[in-house]
Amino acid sequence: MNARHLASDETLAGFSAGRLDEGMSLVVAAHLEINAASAKALREIEAVGGGVLAQGEAVPMLTSAEDALARLDREPGEAPVPVPVRAVEAGLPQVLQPYELGRWHPIGRGVAMRRVHVPGAQARVFMLRAAPGIWLPEHRHTGNEWTTILAGAYEHEYGRFGRGDFDEANENHEHHPRVDAVEGCTCIVALTGEVRFRGWLGRLLQPLVRL
Amino acid sequence: MDADALIQAIASSADRRAFAQLFEHFAPRVKGLLMRGGTPPDLAEELAQETLMTVWRKAALFDPAKAGASTWIATIARNLRIDHARREKRSRLSQVFEILEEDEGPEQPDAVLAGSERDARVRVALKGLSKEQYRVVELAFLEGFSHQDVAQRLSIPLGTVKSRLRLAMAHLRRHLEDLR
Repeated sequence: MNARHLASDETLAGFSAGRLDEGMSLVVAAHLEINAASAKALREIEAVGGGVLAQGEAVPMLTSAEDALARLDREPGEAPVPVPVRAVEAGLPQVLQPYELGRWHPIGRGVAMRRVHVPGAQARVFMLRAAPGIWLPEHRHTGNEWTTILAGAYEHEYGRFGRGDFDEANENHEHHPRVDAVEGCTCIVALTGEVRFRGWLGRLLQPLVRL
Repeated sequence: MDADALIQAIASSADRRAFAQLFEHFAPRVKGLLMRGGTPPDLAEELAQETLMTVWRKAALFDPAKAGASTWIATIARNLRIDHARREKRSRLSQVFEILEEDEGPEQPDAVLAGSERDARVRVALKGLSKEQYRVVELAFLEGFSHQDVAQRLSIPLGTVKSRLRLAMAHLRRHLEDLR
């Protein structure tokens, strides 16, 4: 199945330049890990960076190559080591490795949530697992809600979102997602600002999603 | 100058002359790039030196099939800048970048263009951009500013930023198309 919902160039460029919040970045990274089209778009953006470097204006250095070599003789540095931090659970993206995950806990009928601890982030990051066929409560946000689908699918006003898709909901988007009737859905979400739910189920959920 | 070959010479034989050539070419450009992005001159000097030192230390990891020399060096400079900016904040973002870079990535349905070839095409394509388009590309894609921030920095309407970027990206991607 082709993934059709990709991160925008604006989001990929912000990610690539390290300008996004760490929590938002993590959700983008999960998308890049499993979505070939966005991974390619990112490589193109990075190549533009390389091109701008190659023909950009040079500013004379005060230090020389000999200075750098002398420093390298003094501080050879560690041999490059890969960064195995901890093994990530089966089925989860590798980019979650550096982060601690909470336990799954139910937050309503058919929905469970699991916190992702990102100490450097402003955004709240969590995973959500929803049972087949349920409707998630209708909601709107004051900030951004970015989601990468890890398994299964859901569908709402903006289309169907399956594994590897990226759902970039910004202010004023209103959602009423329905979870795939067969596969259910597991996703990772980063959230800034407030979320306002509607309806009785929403009012029950409200205190729980403040995390 | 064949930057790919110079990096490979460092990897295979710790070639100090190759390093000096790379340093003379790239260090002032990295410094210029960082300064255009708002990094103060002293820090830009330090980070440019560290970028080239990292090239020396990691030369064995350079893979021109993934990214050409300029792109690889630009991402090293970026990682050092991010690390520096976030040093106090217990950020693990640079680990996330490393995991993504090591990861072979999802299966590619079509042929992958070698990194060096992609770099060469981008260089040609960039020459075809107007000055205004180039500046917008630089701020949006290299510095990662939001379209709103780019509009503010250049004192031009948001719509102008968006249309310049759209044209510039269409132009760039046309040059990369048959490589996709």
